[in-house]
Amino acid sequence: MSTLFSHRAIKTVLLVFLLLLVSVSQSSQAYESNAGTLAIKLELKQQQGEYHPPYVAVWLENNDRKSVRTLLLWRKEPKWLKDIRRWWRNVGRKDAELVDAITSATHAAGSFPLSFKLTDDEQHALTEGDYTLYIEVVREKGGRALLKQKFSLNNQTQQFTLKETAETGEITFTVTPLGAKT
Amino acid sequence: MNFKKATLVMLALAVSSQVSAHSRWILPSHFTLSSERGEWVTLDATASNEVFNVDKALSIDPLSILTPSGKKSRPSSAYKAHRKSVADYFIEESGTYKITNNSTPSYFSTYKVGDKRHRARVNKMELKSLVPANATSLQTAYGLTRIESYITMNNPTENYAIDGKFLELLPKTHPSEVVENEPATFVFTYNGKVQSGVEVEITRDGARYRNNPETLTMKSNNKGEITFTPMHAGRYLLIAEHEQDAKNKTLADKEHGGVFLTFEVQLQ
Repeated sequence: MSTLFSHRAIKTVLLVFLLLLVSVSQSSQAYESNAGTLAIKLELKQQQGEYHPPYVAVWLENNDRKSVRTLLLWRKEPKWLKDIRRWWRNVGRKDAELVDAITSATHAAGSFPLSFKLTDDEQHALTEGDYTLYIEVVREKGGRALLKQKFSLNNQTQQFTLKETAETGEITFTVTPLGAKT
Repeated sequence: MNFKKATLVMLALAVSSQVSAHSRWILPSHFTLSSERGEWVTLDATASNEVFNVDKALSIDPLSILTPSGKKSRPSSAYKAHRKSVADYFIEESGTYKITNNSTPSYFSTYKVGDKRHRARVNKMELKSLVPANATSLQTAYGLTRIESYITMNNPTENYAIDGKFLELLPKTHPSEVVENEPATFVFTYNGKVQSGVEVEITRDGARYRNNPETLTMKSNNKGEITFTPMHAGRYLLIAEHEQDAKNKTLADKEHGGVFLTFEVQLQ
């Protein structure tokens, strides 16, 4: 400890680091606290026969069909990411860092209550306007489902139900803007 | 000859120029890849009129692979079977690879002796010295046919490498972003300039198992563009042809350019 740096230098560095940490977390809190929430109850169906847990991506596109936020990515090997066709084409392949940041493990069939802040990929609150929620589910040696639902982000709470597909059960999602009128 | 007859004859001529030779293609095992460490692809090359059933092995001696960083590369191994040639290649960079199997420009002549049609791979001067005195309908074309495809690993790049000679296809819609029920646009150039009136046929995989091959036919507009909306995801072969009078008629009467592009249409 004593050889390379003086105690004073270390203290200064630590102080700057702590200040940075505080300011970063404060700013992201500031962004997120301005945002409403998006709750999704995701249902992955039980399947017959050989079963590989599906790769799943859930994301939001704006009115120009540009992705503003990837909410969820459940996957294993990068080799099969391309099979989440639409998400990979429009989102994943264009942003390797996002893919790394958002990745989590796959899950077998079941019911998954999920909640997200209504922010973009940079944690800025989403502005009012029209969006589409996309859910893409792909199973090795199985099928694929692409579900989408348009919604307008305004001051109203809205609930949607997505019909069952071969890969998914009934999925509900609720958009709750900050300070929403119910 | 009235207008209708003239049109029919012209159509017949146009069609016959398109079907005079086998279709050729290079078909990659994958058009779209995701990987952190690279992936192998296998390329099939064949001359066949049945999209995408193989028929006669196509020489892959001229096979060239342009990497996203602009290096020219060759397959790591190749095998010529009776009905197709096969090449293996390791895709290691992120971006779009352009695969081509183009020969060099060449002369192609035809003539008749009596009713019998003959062909020769010679220029107009050579043809004159080669044919018997009673030969008729001497015709020589000078041209280049391109056989190409694109493979994209991870983020697509616009690695189109147009060389400004004969007929070329310049994607306006990236080849890795052609999607069912969405319009796609390609541009044709001839000697580097946009070319209108290029005759294009686009056929989806599996023609053997359809009564109607469902080939889309179109011509490029005055911006050299074609725009089409594929109704189904799958693998497609695009055939484009253009012929015009040769500028200098010493060695050939016509100039000819062709493009065979293999591409995939993705699910929405």
